[in-house]
Amino acid sequence: MSVPTRAPAAPRRSWVLRSGFLRALPFLAPAIVAYVVFVLAPMAESVRLSFFEWTGFVGTPQVFVGFENYVRIFTQDPVFWTAFRNTLIWVVLSLVIPLTISLLLAVALNRPLFGRNVFRSMFYIPGVLASIAVANMWRWIYNPNYGIGASLGKAFGLPWLSDIQWLGNQDIALYSVFVAFIWQSVGTNMVLFLAGLQAVQKEHLEAAKIDGANAWQVFRNVTLPALRPMTVVVTVLTFIGSIKVFDLVVGMTGGGPAQQTQVLALWSYQQSLGNHQYGMGNAIATVLLIVTLIIVVPYLIWTARQEDK
Amino acid sequence: MRTIRTVAAIATAAMLAAGLAACSAGDDSDGATTITYWKLADTDAASKKAWAQTLKGFEDSHPNITVKVQERSTDGHKEALRTALGTSGAPDVYWSWAGPGIGGEYVKAGGSLDLAKYYKKYDWNERFSPASMSSVKQYGKYDGVPSGQSGAAVFYNKDLFAKAGITAPPTSYKELVDDADKLVAAGITPIEFGGTVNWHLMRLLDNILMTECGQKTFTALVAAKADWGKEDCVTAAYEQFHTWTQKYLTKGWASLSDSEANALFFKGDAAMVIEGNWFDNVLRANDVDTATIGVFMFPTGTGQLYGDTSNNYITPTSKHPDAAAEFLDYLTSAKPQKISLDLVGTRPVNVDVKIDPSTQDSLDKEWNPIFADAKGLFAFNDQGLSLAQTTEYWRIQNLVATNDLEPSKAGAQFQKFIDQQ
Repeated sequence: MSVPTRAPAAPRRSWVLRSGFLRALPFLAPAIVAYVVFVLAPMAESVRLSFFEWTGFVGTPQVFVGFENYVRIFTQDPVFWTAFRNTLIWVVLSLVIPLTISLLLAVALNRPLFGRNVFRSMFYIPGVLASIAVANMWRWIYNPNYGIGASLGKAFGLPWLSDIQWLGNQDIALYSVFVAFIWQSVGTNMVLFLAGLQAVQKEHLEAAKIDGANAWQVFRNVTLPALRPMTVVVTVLTFIGSIKVFDLVVGMTGGGPAQQTQVLALWSYQQSLGNHQYGMGNAIATVLLIVTLIIVVPYLIWTARQEDK
Repeated sequence: MRTIRTVAAIATAAMLAAGLAACSAGDDSDGATTITYWKLADTDAASKKAWAQTLKGFEDSHPNITVKVQERSTDGHKEALRTALGTSGAPDVYWSWAGPGIGGEYVKAGGSLDLAKYYKKYDWNERFSPASMSSVKQYGKYDGVPSGQSGAAVFYNKDLFAKAGITAPPTSYKELVDDADKLVAAGITPIEFGGTVNWHLMRLLDNILMTECGQKTFTALVAAKADWGKEDCVTAAYEQFHTWTQKYLTKGWASLSDSEANALFFKGDAAMVIEGNWFDNVLRANDVDTATIGVFMFPTGTGQLYGDTSNNYITPTSKHPDAAAEFLDYLTSAKPQKISLDLVGTRPVNVDVKIDPSTQDSLDKEWNPIFADAKGLFAFNDQGLSLAQTTEYWRIQNLVATNDLEPSKAGAQFQKFIDQQ
């Protein structure tokens, strides 16, 4: 009796070959090269420079100082911790206020209502304006002699309103700039949430209503969970955008008064290009990078695990 | 396939041709030379007209040299120089303030060609005053060619002064403070500054510091040879400065830029401002009747005129230093100096160009005795201090002005920063 024999097994191909990565590589290559040249390389150079003392002028020597720049920014720089605190405040407020407003606007403008597209456009348009234009506009709004506060104060006999120094009072200047940021940013996130809301299945909403859920319960138990992927995107984008806030601050206050609205990205820029202290400026930039990675990477991993469940 | 190869070959050839053309920019095939010149933007019609005439005059008399001019705002100009000097993108010639804090940084970074041979060739040592030459030779070689020497003093509105019962400009610091009180009593804002550009309000602090400390201590402080935390005059200066910001400054100054604050002066909403002699032209450009404006030296008691010097520098990376020197020789020759004097009121650096008071308006004339009687010049502190020190000087200045730092602690805090550098 003959024993059936199996055909010899084909050699196992590596994961790289099986996944088609090599086939995709020629198409990915230009983007990878651009990413390395314009993102990774400058980032690496910035981290490298943080260990040197350099004025930034081509031809002048770069002197290796080890961790001295980091010691200086943490222990001697009179502005660093103010900038760090302000950046933190900005991030927290960004994740709470404009995000919430954007979500509410998206929910409101997802319904069929008269003029819906006009409203959507109205809220979106500030997001396409250049930040420096927004900064200039709001500087005039806050002008202590001709701005809205001054004008309304004079019109209604409210001298306290005219006296408010929106950008000159260090206790409120940062928040005054933040109001301009809310005005500029809610529209963009609203559009993202609107896109996410289209993924909410109408059948689920109707089924919840049939089961007796009220509006809040429907929103909390059906809409919000369905919006989770988009919420992750909006949250990450908002976090990254807020931690590197620069344009509005430089345009509206320049970091003043007395560096009290200073933020890490702007302070890094001013140390490097303003004070010719490239080492310290890049040390601040590296701190910003590390903080960003520490928060964003675990959040993305956690969110991915939640979705797998 | 053949079509693709042909297209690729043509595209490559076109790119090579463009690259070669770019490489040869600055030297036309007929031997003409192009040099680049970076300067501050002219913002008023008279300055633009004077510059256009000067440039035309040079190019007409030097048909083989073309000057490509790039103009920027104050801060834009500084930033462009910081990033371009030492690279192939640097200009052939650039204008800069000459003090150690700005021009000195460029010289230290190797951004200035030693012009000793050109000083000999064109006999420039005889063309400029000793004061102008001191700004050229302060770093040990011949850095730049003088462009201007500006004085900054207190501009005042004569009508507002009269309304407050002030019959003559103050000649002492005490009289100045008394006049400020009179203006307040008459319901007039004594002085305006824009707080968002730190260098504007800085002028007040610098002058008060000179008043309290005197020339010798002031100079030592700026050179970090005296201790800011130990000199009593520093505390006195910050206390006086604090008083000015609380009692005499325009409302909302911290939120205003210099131009927004100066608009109040143009409108007659503030009685004084510390500005430079270039401000005469700014007033005219804003339709202010200069007959109603006067100027007096801040009464520091030292006879030193507050101001700065500026030079035009040739970069070591320039491929056309001879042409650049030819350009600077023309700029400082009698004809263009006279054009600027007649049209803009700019004081000439060429000692052979004399100011004719009969051609000046009343405000320009007021500067003549100020310059003539000045015993010396003391520079704006953002030119005397290093860049990092200037940033901290401004921060402390603003903390004192906004009541967030006691004046008695300001000097010590600044000295601590200096010691850590």
